[in-house]
Amino acid sequence: MDAQIFFENTLNACVSGLVIGCIYGLMCVGLSLIFGIMRVVNFAQGDLLMLGAYAAFYLVVVWGTMSVLGPAGPFVAALLAGPMVFCLGWLLHRFLLSRVSGLRTAGSLDEGHFGQLIVTLGVALILQNGGLILFGSTPRAVSTPLSSAAWLIETGPGDTTIFLNKARLIACLVALVVVVALWLLLERTRLGRALRAAADNPTAATYMGIDVDRAHRIAFALGSAVTAIAGGLVATYLSFTPFMGIDFVVIMYAGVVLGGMGSLLGAFWGGLTIGFVQQFSALALPPQLQNAAIFVVFLLIVVLRPQGLFGRSADRA
Amino acid sequence: MRPGAFPRLRRDALIFAVLLACYVVLSGVVTNSYYQLMLTLVPIWAVMGLSWNLFSGYVGLTSFGHAVFFGLGAYTVALTMNAWNLTPWFGIPLGTVVGAVAAVLIGLPTFRLRGHYFALAMLAFPLVLLYVFQYLGYQEVSLPMKREQPWAWLQFTDPRGFTLVALGLLAMAFGISLAVENSRFGLTLMAIRQNELAAAAAGIDARRAKMAALVLSGAIAAAAGGLYACILLVVTPDAVFGMLTSAQALTVAMFGGVGTVWGPLIGAAVLIPLAETLHAELGNIIPGIQGVVYGLAIILVMLLAPEGLFWTLRDRFARTALPPELGPAPVLPTLTLRAPAAAGPVLRVENIGKSFGGLRAVDGVSFAVARGEILGIIGPNGAGKTTLFNLLNGVLPSDTGTAWLDGEVITGRPLHAICRAGVGRTFQVVRSFPRLSLLDNVLIGAYGAGLTGAAATTAAEVALARTGLAAQAQREAGALTNKELRLMELARAVAGQPHLLLLDETLAGLGREECEAVLSVLRELRAAGMTIVIIEHTMHAMLKLADRLVVIDRGRLLAEGAPRDVVENRAVIEAYLGRKWMAKTCST
Amino acid sequence: MLDITGLSVAYGGLRALAEVSLKVETGQFVTVVGPNGAGKSTLFKAISGIVPAAAGSIRFDGEDLLARAADRRAHLGIAHVPEGRQVFKTLTVRENLEMGAYPEAGRRQWGRTLERIHTLFPILAERREQLAGTLSGGEQQMLAIGRGLACAPRLLMLDEPSMGLAPAIADMIFERIAQIHREDGLTILLVEQRVAEALELSDRGYVLETGRMVLEGPYQTLLSDDRVRRSYLGISDE
Repeated sequence: MDAQIFFENTLNACVSGLVIGCIYGLMCVGLSLIFGIMRVVNFAQGDLLMLGAYAAFYLVVVWGTMSVLGPAGPFVAALLAGPMVFCLGWLLHRFLLSRVSGLRTAGSLDEGHFGQLIVTLGVALILQNGGLILFGSTPRAVSTPLSSAAWLIETGPGDTTIFLNKARLIACLVALVVVVALWLLLERTRLGRALRAAADNPTAATYMGIDVDRAHRIAFALGSAVTAIAGGLVATYLSFTPFMGIDFVVIMYAGVVLGGMGSLLGAFWGGLTIGFVQQFSALALPPQLQNAAIFVVFLLIVVLRPQGLFGRSADRA
Repeated sequence: MRPGAFPRLRRDALIFAVLLACYVVLSGVVTNSYYQLMLTLVPIWAVMGLSWNLFSGYVGLTSFGHAVFFGLGAYTVALTMNAWNLTPWFGIPLGTVVGAVAAVLIGLPTFRLRGHYFALAMLAFPLVLLYVFQYLGYQEVSLPMKREQPWAWLQFTDPRGFTLVALGLLAMAFGISLAVENSRFGLTLMAIRQNELAAAAAGIDARRAKMAALVLSGAIAAAAGGLYACILLVVTPDAVFGMLTSAQALTVAMFGGVGTVWGPLIGAAVLIPLAETLHAELGNIIPGIQGVVYGLAIILVMLLAPEGLFWTLRDRFARTALPPELGPAPVLPTLTLRAPAAAGPVLRVENIGKSFGGLRAVDGVSFAVARGEILGIIGPNGAGKTTLFNLLNGVLPSDTGTAWLDGEVITGRPLHAICRAGVGRTFQVVRSFPRLSLLDNVLIGAYGAGLTGAAATTAAEVALARTGLAAQAQREAGALTNKELRLMELARAVAGQPHLLLLDETLAGLGREECEAVLSVLRELRAAGMTIVIIEHTMHAMLKLADRLVVIDRGRLLAEGAPRDVVENRAVIEAYLGRKWMAKTCST
Repeated sequence: MLDITGLSVAYGGLRALAEVSLKVETGQFVTVVGPNGAGKSTLFKAISGIVPAAAGSIRFDGEDLLARAADRRAHLGIAHVPEGRQVFKTLTVRENLEMGAYPEAGRRQWGRTLERIHTLFPILAERREQLAGTLSGGEQQMLAIGRGLACAPRLLMLDEPSMGLAPAIADMIFERIAQIHREDGLTILLVEQRVAEALELSDRGYVLETGRMVLEGPYQTLLSDDRVRRSYLGISDE
């Protein structure tokens, strides 16, 4: 193969790996709020992503509310998807998840994981198929003029051109902003500390006067919202159906596990890594196998190194 | 076979036969082709449910990926029929083998994983295969239609033929599940589910048992998949490897009842017609109604009746427990101890130690236990006593030192091997299998030690008699009092015919009289030749029971000797009450 | 300040506490001693609300504590330094202390309180940004106590602060506790296995054995009562 083309492809894969990776990082961060803080296994995480995508779709395409914002519309819509799904997450926890997690199940043999798995599987099924009923099975996309525009950077030996899809790049930047905002929330605010304390030691947190149940609810709603924003961003460059969640569930869990359970930043790096893996696998593998590659990577991680690469302290595997 | 199994087996088989006959009649009567298809699908999903139950229900590891076996079975049939002209009558058994092999390959890496990681990993397998098969170009594999002698190719002009074959498969799967449920193997699986550690301490090799269960489960699921392919005549990756397939297997079993043969039958009989009917009636207007139904079903089940319909109904309508019969005055049966006729101490420990991170939990402890002795291990809270037991028993590996049982080294050997060498252990937190009878609970101990059949039953009955629980043998363990539970733990350890018992806080939480009852059991066991090492906090009981005491403080051996002496020992008093106490009381 | 009457607690079938009564007046230092498994920790957990009470009442300054959810009790001014320290291992020392100040009362006087904690336990100032999980046992105990002080409590409850600590460090901890009582006039309820050390500091003592109060009185009386020793070492009257 022509060395120059090979180099160009690799460089582009790197760049797009970075860009996509940031978005994956965002969704992994959302999951880590739930999986990492609450230690709740949420099967429906991918479907929350899907809801975010459809929320953005409705805001931009169906209701046309974002047209006043021009090309920035879809990205603002993605951000708005956050609060919408926040409310749903809040309700989900209040009525369903709180019964199978938190202090109620803290002492039991498997910490309530079986119940969480089953209940969230039910939620996933309902969201996916409910989505099918409400939204139909036609693949949708939230396209903007930016989706097909790209910055071309000429650089390097020969005529190496790096393609930077504009929409993806902006989505990546938005993702980064949200991650930073979330990090600030968790590390610098009283609420964030309370969430982390409740995750670290629910009993001691109760002694401090923290309502652990409410802390978990906030964490869950926040995690849902963040994942939904990621979904809205994904919508700007990928076409999607109500069943998109399944593909992304494994990506998210792979990223969170790779990055180490308790760490928000670790989850981000994990997601970034998975993004890289995916874009690089596109160089060597046909499209159908790219997702399979991610699943295989996930299996390898879970079997070989369940504590991840960036775990903050001795976390259970 | 477990004791009492045959009458249960006969009853269950009879009920099943009757239901089967009714079903055959029903399928003869129904003429609408859609409903006929539904009648065929119900047994197939019942088989899937039974297969899921065999593994996840009995063992307790939730599998979200049983579709992997289903799909492999389906594709084996479809591909062999196309490529080699192989009739599905052979193709399905071949698929079964493929499923079994897949189970081994899947089980090997994933059994090490805990609960939710296992579930996630199992989820990934069918999804990987889904993509791979799509890539390989098998998006849609049709089974060629055979015009001549279609029955030789498992194709029937009359759809009722499929129903009969499906019922045949169901009968086989039911039979296997019934056999497992009533066998030693099944009891072993249930023990693993309830408390893998205690099961291992009772001598069970958990990995092998889990693997056997998964292989059986995978094989049955693959058979179901193969038959499914024959009925639908076309196989697509989504249909057989998709998440809905795994979810259906799980839902059907969970809804109907986990851990019982009847559960998947009930679940399939209720959910499949429901979902299929809704799909038929509303499928055009509301596509995906099936998924929503299943989703709702499992959420409701999980919140309202987490063990499934079968158990909830049974609890509601169960007869009250039979009152315990007052047996004849207990003449204690002889206790068989598989003890080697050796001289010297039963247990010798030298310089054993263990660190956790920077903390030295057990530090250079050495002592010996004479044959037929009752040794008490005492010490302040957090001193390392349970850790010491865990080192002796094989639960944890030691960093330093050695322990000998009858002169043979036991440090470094796995838990179940040490049990089979003759060491019984009870744990601080008693975990019983609440829905099994007391006898079954105790049988685990006998099976774990390698006993089988009648010998196992006898050992269990002897153990129950010695602990005074013989009259309660048929009661469900969930109904026992605290004292009875502790005695049951003891009986389970004794049923393995050990000659050394390690008891961890057997008397915790018992009142005066209850304590006395347990103490007398222990004394009688010793009189029969048992050697006992017991950790306790209830000091007054130890003074009455133990021949010798060993005091552990902060991981080190502080004192040993006759109880009265140890209690007067200054260092011991200081460890319990503090240095200043010694100073004060000595100066008065 | 704290008035417990006839408290009974059942723990999964076990009778952990049976009709326990206890009084702590404002400004007092009260100690509860007793052997292992006597129910001392259960008593604290019942006061903090982690464990429900089967019978009896707990009143704090006249308020019925049992009517309040567990996470509201800290806001009333009750600080619980738990058994085994239970620091937030993945938070820094500073963040642990800040968590202690979660209730409103704590936040108002935070500056002053923090200074006081640093004076009592200078090492906490030194290791401000260190992860609490990496501290030694004694340091974690100091952190736990500091965290308890952080909410400017009216009642400080300490559950076996000496457990698992080397004697010299345990002595130092006791000294500090005494200092807090002396200098700040804080009301303290202490549960301990180390009888003499604990009783010496206190005004009143209670002895708990298998869920029942068997002895009480001013510390001098208890120290010279041989029944305490026998209760610990199981030499009963029967």
